[in-house]
Amino acid sequence: MHQSSKDNSGFSTKPAIVVDNLTVSYGPVPALLDVSFEVPAGQLIGIIGPNGSGKSTLIKAILGFLKPDFGSVHLFGEPADRAKGRVAYVPQRGSVDWDFPVSVQEVVLMGRYGHVPWWKDLDQLDRQLADDALDMVRMSDYGKRQIGELSGGQQQRVFMARAMAQGADILLLDEPFAGVDAATEHAILDVLEQTKQAGKTLLVVHHDLTTAAEYFDSLILLKQRLYAFGSPEAVLHRQLLSEVYEGSLRIFADLSPTTKNS
Amino acid sequence: MQHLLDALIEPLTGIHFQKALIGATLSAIACGVIGSFIVLRRMAFLGDALSHAMLAGVTSGYLFMQMLFGYEAHAPAMIIGALLAGLVTVSAISFVSQVSRIKEDTAIGIMYTGIFALGGILASVFSDRIHIHLFDFIVGMVLAVEDGHLWMIASVCVLVLCVVILFFRQLQITTFDPIMAASIGVPVVGVHYLLTACTSLVVVSAVPVVGVVLVVGLLITPAASAYLVTNRLRTMVIAAPVFGVFNVVVGLYLSSWIGNVAPGPMIVVVGTIQFLILLCIAPRYGLIADWWRRRQLVPQALLEDILGFIRHDGRQQVPLQDILAQVKSPQHLVRRAVRELQRQHFLKEDGQGVGFTEVGQHEARRLLRSHRLWETYLQHVGTPEAELHLTAHQLEHLHDENTVDYLDDKLGHPLQDPHGSEIPEDFIDLVPGARIKASLLRQGHQATVISVSSGWEDHPIQKETQITAGPRRDEGKLWTFVLPGGNLIELDHEAADAVTVRLDNTPES
Repeated sequence: MHQSSKDNSGFSTKPAIVVDNLTVSYGPVPALLDVSFEVPAGQLIGIIGPNGSGKSTLIKAILGFLKPDFGSVHLFGEPADRAKGRVAYVPQRGSVDWDFPVSVQEVVLMGRYGHVPWWKDLDQLDRQLADDALDMVRMSDYGKRQIGELSGGQQQRVFMARAMAQGADILLLDEPFAGVDAATEHAILDVLEQTKQAGKTLLVVHHDLTTAAEYFDSLILLKQRLYAFGSPEAVLHRQLLSEVYEGSLRIFADLSPTTKNS
Repeated sequence: MQHLLDALIEPLTGIHFQKALIGATLSAIACGVIGSFIVLRRMAFLGDALSHAMLAGVTSGYLFMQMLFGYEAHAPAMIIGALLAGLVTVSAISFVSQVSRIKEDTAIGIMYTGIFALGGILASVFSDRIHIHLFDFIVGMVLAVEDGHLWMIASVCVLVLCVVILFFRQLQITTFDPIMAASIGVPVVGVHYLLTACTSLVVVSAVPVVGVVLVVGLLITPAASAYLVTNRLRTMVIAAPVFGVFNVVVGLYLSSWIGNVAPGPMIVVVGTIQFLILLCIAPRYGLIADWWRRRQLVPQALLEDILGFIRHDGRQQVPLQDILAQVKSPQHLVRRAVRELQRQHFLKEDGQGVGFTEVGQHEARRLLRSHRLWETYLQHVGTPEAELHLTAHQLEHLHDENTVDYLDDKLGHPLQDPHGSEIPEDFIDLVPGARIKASLLRQGHQATVISVSSGWEDHPIQKETQITAGPRRDEGKLWTFVLPGGNLIELDHEAADAVTVRLDNTPES
């Protein structure tokens, strides 16, 4: 994939995401309270936690949409709200209007919009970058299709390609595995792995605790506060989970990261 | 022919008709372009609200200029008034929906009726001062448009086209994915207000043509028609004005031919009929196309039956005649299914008939495994012998990987079905390098032990050992494995499940 010069500048030594004492509130009860963690570049990280635990607030904070009550988010050393374009957001499949009159190619091209001033047209390089991104997720043959005509896994790949075309170094994915079948789930996971190989940092909101260990390098366990951050073995601790999920969690027979075939 | 030509040309000789045609056409162009975005953003109701709110704006503008400066029907003031009314309505709507639990559609309903009603009061209280007909305002007065109106409509049209051409990308991305748009720095709220301002302008331009009540018909009906025939935004933004212009031209002629029919309603009725026709015949998203597509669908079960039949037949190439004769389904369906299987690259055709491709072979084997496991399961739960095959035949179509793996595990990974035929191994998981449970291994497989589940400290197999699977014993209930030293060990299902291995070699490879 082509990279413009500003994409591979000297930031690589800095951690991709640094969250410092982040507190965000919408009312008297903070949605996030004193959350701190540091994500090194090139990792595939899962964010887990019960409903309403602040996962999407954290995503918004990293996207630079929120003004924190206290604390900060830095991306490669820059404050989040000034690092627009370094982060790409991959929306939840349910939130996309799949009937929208737009082709696969046009969606991926949207990734370039942030790089082109409003009075200028997209140029040949932008189209090339979009084509390369489509190629990378092996969707080149589908460029002319309307997005609703794709399977679930293909749809996810298109949005991954858009994030790649954006030239972002950090990808935020909102429940990419929600409502897809097993085969699609594996196809998506392949794309995530591949994106990681390309040196991107991926932060994935995830619901399914049974697969969390298998899919991610590290996990963030969130419920208003940061309960745990680290390797799946350390985070998926029975006691920790029952504390966070307060018994709303049906006990899983085996959460340890071993096999997928039972 | 001559009559037809006369009928087309005759109305054009009237200056009113000419002006009406120009004004309505320009207005329809502006409406179609903006309407496309309104449709995609589901803002149709807001468009309706803005058109009604205009009444208050127009009367205020009229009164303001008349009372302060003595101008009658000062057009710029009325337009500015209309825009201000639109702005007030939109702000009031977002205020109410943001600060209270009232949802946006309700807020729209409350605020626009309120402002519309205020306009009605103003217009009736000062009815002696205002010399515009409310009725014209409601259903339009396209045959009485003045030059001032035409200039206004033309300016709106040009302005709106410029905005859409300049900000097409911004409008597209904020409509399609506002979160992503915001994350790359597009001012989402700003674009929304820009579009709302354009909508107000367009509405102002369309009111003389079709009237307040029917503006939405010109704004969204052509755009919705365009939405039915295209799947590109660019095409839609061009098709919608084309449809709109067609509507106004046909509507104006019809009302002129019939006589004594208000042109505004005629235009909107033509648009609605056009929409309904397209709803039926649109090539891709129309009802007929949809019905036809569904008719063309081949039942999945039939596709699988044909794969099963060809596998059972055993020949490299099976003549189509044999398939038609043996598979119990209407011939045209079977033919279509065979074509569909070729399209999906499961079958390929040569002179002799059809045969499997590699993927087809794989799929057929998967179905066979599903069928035989279901048969074994049915016997296991006590289904009478005579029903085994037929019931399994129905159930084999439930063959997703999880289901089949569940059956396999529950039945203790059987090697044979009730008729004594071999059940294919779990060839989807059994690929070299895969991490699997040792219970999946069949005779001849070589694997390296990765881990043994906790709680099995005395397990006869240790980590890192290389094992080779031997034949099963005790009716398949005991697994045998050969250890590196040549020792043979026996494991039951549970003990074999406790061992996770990495497959190194399959007997074939």
